[in-house]
Formats: sequence, C-alpha cells, structure tokens
Amino acid sequence: MKISRKLYSYYLVLPALLIYCIFFVAPAVAGLFYSFTDWRLDRVGLKFIGWNNFERIFTDKTLLLAIKNTLIFAVVTVIGKNLLGLALAIGLNMRLKTRNILRAVFYSPSILSVLVISIVFTPMLRSDGAINRIFESVGLGFLAQNWLTNPHVVIWTVAAIAIWQHAGFQMAIYLAGLQSISKDYYEAATIDGAGAWTSFRSITLPLLLPALNINLMLTLIGGLKVFSEVFVLTGGGPGNASQVVGTIILRSFGEGSWGLGTAVNTLLFAAVTIIAIPLLIFMRRKEVSEQ
Amino acid sequence: MSMYKKKIITGMMGGLLAFSLAACGGGNAPTGSSAASGGGTSTGSSGGKGTTIELAISKSSQDSIFVQQNLLDAFEKETGIKVNLQLLPAEQTATVLQTKLAVDETPDIVQYNLASATTDLNLERNFEILDNEAWASRLLNKEVLSAYGHIYSFQLSQDTGMQGVVYNKDMFKELGIEIPTDFDEFLAACEKIKAAGITPVFMPFKDNWAANIWPGAAFADYAEKNEPTLFDDINAGKKKWSDVPAFADILQQQYEVYEKGYTNGDILSDSYDMAVGKFLNKEVAMMFMGDWLIQNVADKDPKMNLGLFPIPYAKDSKLGASPLGGQLFIPKKAKHMAEAKQFLDYVARKDVAQKIVDEQKFVSNFNDVKTPELPTWKQEIVDNYITPKKTVLTVDAHMLVDRSELYRLLQDEFAGGTDAKGVLSAWDEKFAQLMQDKGAEGF
Repeated sequence: MKISRKLYSYYLVLPALLIYCIFFVAPAVAGLFYSFTDWRLDRVGLKFIGWNNFERIFTDKTLLLAIKNTLIFAVVTVIGKNLLGLALAIGLNMRLKTRNILRAVFYSPSILSVLVISIVFTPMLRSDGAINRIFESVGLGFLAQNWLTNPHVVIWTVAAIAIWQHAGFQMAIYLAGLQSISKDYYEAATIDGAGAWTSFRSITLPLLLPALNINLMLTLIGGLKVFSEVFVLTGGGPGNASQVVGTIILRSFGEGSWGLGTAVNTLLFAAVTIIAIPLLIFMRRKEVSEQ
Repeated sequence: MSMYKKKIITGMMGGLLAFSLAACGGGNAPTGSSAASGGGTSTGSSGGKGTTIELAISKSSQDSIFVQQNLLDAFEKETGIKVNLQLLPAEQTATVLQTKLAVDETPDIVQYNLASATTDLNLERNFEILDNEAWASRLLNKEVLSAYGHIYSFQLSQDTGMQGVVYNKDMFKELGIEIPTDFDEFLAACEKIKAAGITPVFMPFKDNWAANIWPGAAFADYAEKNEPTLFDDINAGKKKWSDVPAFADILQQQYEVYEKGYTNGDILSDSYDMAVGKFLNKEVAMMFMGDWLIQNVADKDPKMNLGLFPIPYAKDSKLGASPLGGQLFIPKKAKHMAEAKQFLDYVARKDVAQKIVDEQKFVSNFNDVKTPELPTWKQEIVDNYITPKKTVLTVDAHMLVDRSELYRLLQDEFAGGTDAKGVLSAWDEKFAQLMQDKGAEGF
C-alpha cells in the first residue's frame, strides 16, 4: 500500500506570516529607519541625520552608564539565576519528603508581579529596614547599606532581587532536564567507582546542556532587556545611578526624542542578536544526545 | 511545490511587506499636512445641540471641578451638548496626549498643567490662543493662565498652588520660633526643633520632583530681584545655569539642611505620600512643598494648624507660585471647537462660576465673582502674599524643556553622586541638548 506523505500547502502559513510581518517585522524595520532621523515630538516632519543618534548614545555619560549597568545586570543575573537554579534543581531532584512543597515554594516568586516584589522589598531594603536589622543582629552591622539609594550598590541590589525572583523558574527547567536523564548512567558510573563530582561532570552536565542552553538564552536576553525591575524599584535612580537601556528608551520617549529612543532600541536589538545568536550556535554544537 | 508557485508566494510576501511598511511610514504625511493647514480653524462646529465633545483628563484628576457630573448635566440640559470624558492612565497622560495630538486624534478639550503643557505638549503648535474669548476680559490675573504672552488656558481660580515651607504653626508657637526670614534664622529654627526631639524638615526625595521646590521658588525670586532677564537669556543660550553663582549657593543651602542632620534619615527612600502622615503624627515640623499639602492634611484632620512661608534662601524672599495645575486647553485641531469654547463660556458665566468658587473655596480669578470665606491658612496666604503681590512664578514657568533630568540631578546631589555645581553643569549640558533638539535658537 502506498502511504501518502504529502505536506500541507505553504499557503497555510500566510495568515501567521502576514500578522508577523505587520506587527513585528514592519515596526522593527520602521524603527530602524526612524533611528537615523531627528524624529521628535515637537517637530513636524523629520530629517535624515545619519549616525548622529548613535554617536550621541556613545558620547552621553548617562547613556554609557545605562549600557554599563545593563551589562552588569545581564552578567550577574545570568550567572546568579543559573547557578542558583541549578543548585536548587539538583537539591530538589533528590529524595526529600518535602521536595514538592519546596519546589512550589522556590518557583512561586517567579509568578509574582514585579510590582508586588517592589512593594515587599522596598521597605526591607531601607537603611532602617529588615535586611540591615538582620545584619546588625548577627554582628554583621558593617554590611548594612542603603541598598536602593547608594549609587554604587543599587544596580547590584536590583540584580540580586531579579535572581531571587527568577531562579525558581530556571530551577523548573533544570529539573525537567535532570528528570529526563536515565538512572542507568548513574548506576553504571557508581559501579565503575565514580564519585558525585565525576558523575555530575561526566553525566549530568553534558546531558543537561539543552536545559542549560535554553536557560542561558532566556536569562541573557531577559538581562539585556531589563526594564520593569529597575523601573519599579528605583526608577533609574538615585539620580541616574541605576539607569539601564530599557529605562533610557522610556526617558528618551518621555523627553520627546523619539528618534533617539528608537536608536537606543535598535542598538539593544542589535546587541541582543549579536550576543545571543552566536552563543546559541556555540552551545548547540556542544549538546550531546543520550542515543 | 513548484518553482513557479514559490516565486508567486515570494512575490506576494514581498508585496505584503512593502505594503505594511508603507502603511507604517505613511503616518507622517497626514500629520504634517494637516498641521500645516490646521491653523486653528474650527471644523464641524455647526449646530451644537446633539453634539458630543470629548474632554481628555488624567485619571488622577477625575475629581476635577470641570468634570463633576452635575456641572456636565447642567451644561447638557442648557445647550444640548454632551461632554464625554476620556480618562487617561495617570502615568501615561503625557504620552497618550502627545500621541493623540501627533496623529490628529485630538480631544476637544484637554485638562493639563500649563507649565507642563509648554514642554510636554508644545503649547504654541497644538493649542488655541484664548485672548479674545469673552471671559478673558473679566480675568483678574491673566498671568497664571498665560504663556508666551497669550492666554492658552482656562481656570476659575487664581490660587495657583503656592510653594514654600509648609510648617506646623502650633509647634513653632510651643517652641517660641518666629517665621525665619533668612537662611541663618532657618538653620537656627531647625536646631531648636531638633533639640525638642522632632525632625525639623521632611524631605521625601525618593520622589525627585520634591527636591525642586526649594530651588524652584528661590531661583525665580533671585532672578526677579537681581537679573530680571535671566531666564530669557538662559532660554536664548546667552547664559548658562552654572553662570549664576547664586544658583549653586541655593542648591548648597538645601543640601546643608540635610547635611546638618535636620531631616528624616533616609530621604531617598521616603516618598511624598508619607508626608500627610508625618504631619498628622507630629513627627515633623516643616517641609518644602506647596499649599496643597496643607489642604491634604486638613482633609484628614481639620484641627491641624499648618501654614506656609517663603523659601528662606535670602531676606524678604517671595512665595513661589506654581503655574496653575488643572487648566482646560482647547487643541487647535479640536473637531468641535465652537462647542468646546461654549463649554468654557458656560463655566465662566457669573452664576455658574460663583457656585463652583463658593463650593471649592477658590480665590476667584473673575472680577465679578466673589471669593468666599477661605480657611484660615489660605486667607493668610491671600492677605500676606497674593494681595500684596509677594509671589513669584516658580522657575517651572520659564522652563521650555522637560525638567525630569534636572530632578534626577537634584536627587543625585543627595545620593552623593554630585555636588551643587555638578548639578548645574550637568543640567547645562542636558538643557542645551534638549533646546537644540527643540530647534531653539542660540543652541
């Protein structure tokens, strides 16, 4: 009997492609165009100004600070969320009576609104807040800080809160990856005399690479596109100390500098693409299969 | 799939993409052309009866006197014109209005703040000049409704929201403190209050705009007394903010109040919404703020005895008058211009205005509408400052660009990121850039 293997027609992709083009591709390309113009709120018409907006981005101290803060936030949160998420996943993949409850507990912050987190953390992070009181009560008073109002500390604080919030989400992905690894490998490794570290390095890590890849991508892209955490916790302050690219885009639009705003947005889009895609290709090559 | 089909699909995709891009890019042409032809002409304003006019207002201002249902109902009953409210999200009011104005989806009336409208909404380009309206000739104080030498806005009250130092009169009396008339006296008063175990000044500088009250009034007073053309010169690029040593001194004074420990401990974590509670609990004696705070405190506890005195940066300083908040504006491209103006005429009518002014305890801005008996604190402001003309429009009235970066810089001074001179030189840079972007001459 002849089995028909005819595929669906390409025409079926048309509606989705059309929507994608109109609502994503077209605005993105239009944004690219506007980033080379002096498009402003208070001006009728616009003029092509070449690379001026981009030159301004790289000469304006605040914009440079925002780029630096974005990179700090991205690097710190990528490392923090993944290390903590992986540690939690390994811990909660063990036979524990409370593991289901603990999984729910650690995952729950990631479903909270960042506004709620801001309301909870802001009083705790005041100079007279709970965090500093805890430090003082255990004899670590020298660590007490103005966590959200010290310009040198603030971006690290925001990154720490983001790690706290999202590590549970990364944990869930790592857990799924861990549970897909067959126990046979570990049994064979134990018979061969491998210790915990050797098993982790030679079995867990290679077979966990797909989960690691997806987590690295998600955290990196999320880190570079950071906005809401900074916006609700500090508004980019004190002064401009915790401005990131996302808040600068908002500020530029608020000032009526729409051309500059789209230029910063284009730059962010380019940065995410340039960093994320090669990393994705590199990590994909490292992936191994159980087969 | 055959090559032929593939080519057709590729062609269609390309065509669709080009079409969608053209649709996006084309948005500017109508804006430009209609802006050029707009010119304040009234369209579609025939009739009146049965017409609905759109009034756009921030959600945070929905208790405004102009949108009270009984007023709107009475207007509709008399004229047959219905007023439809467009409630805009508070945090996006400026953005939404900017967009509406840019894409010609203009409401017929907008409630906004005059000073902010000059910078956020491009007053001259987008709004109708109201100099020749019938009610304009009855105004007592045209200045509070004007910008660039023209009346652009409408309000019944001339009480523009005074800014200075809000203080607890009872506390001052108990501690035997007189109203300070210069900075040394102010510091001495702070010292006395602090010695009594009370926080002398509440600074809620998490909200960075609150750091602008002291310099906002003091800069304006300094300029009026010493260099009357200073703000014109700054706006023409002939002078910089950092060229005025007094400005740095004024900023330094405010910092000194904090540095000497006369404020709440964590000023960058405390926000404005805590202020009423601080006064009600008698935790603080003073705050650099507007008289709206006194009203807010009185709403909670009418027995609280608060008052307002000018920012004591120098002898005989005047009370800062903020450019009115919550005026009505008519966009040049309002679809129902005549009906919108009819609404202003109606509210300005003697009997209607008198009723509102009486209810709201306004300081009337119309020569035929009487100011009712005012609360003590307000009456004192009228007697001591408004009537003898001891008020000065704050610096906001002269600022032609978005001020939020200045507020951030002021906050940064208290975070230790910069000093008074640093604030001014950084603001010079930003100001020049914003003016340049605006296309202002001299930059």
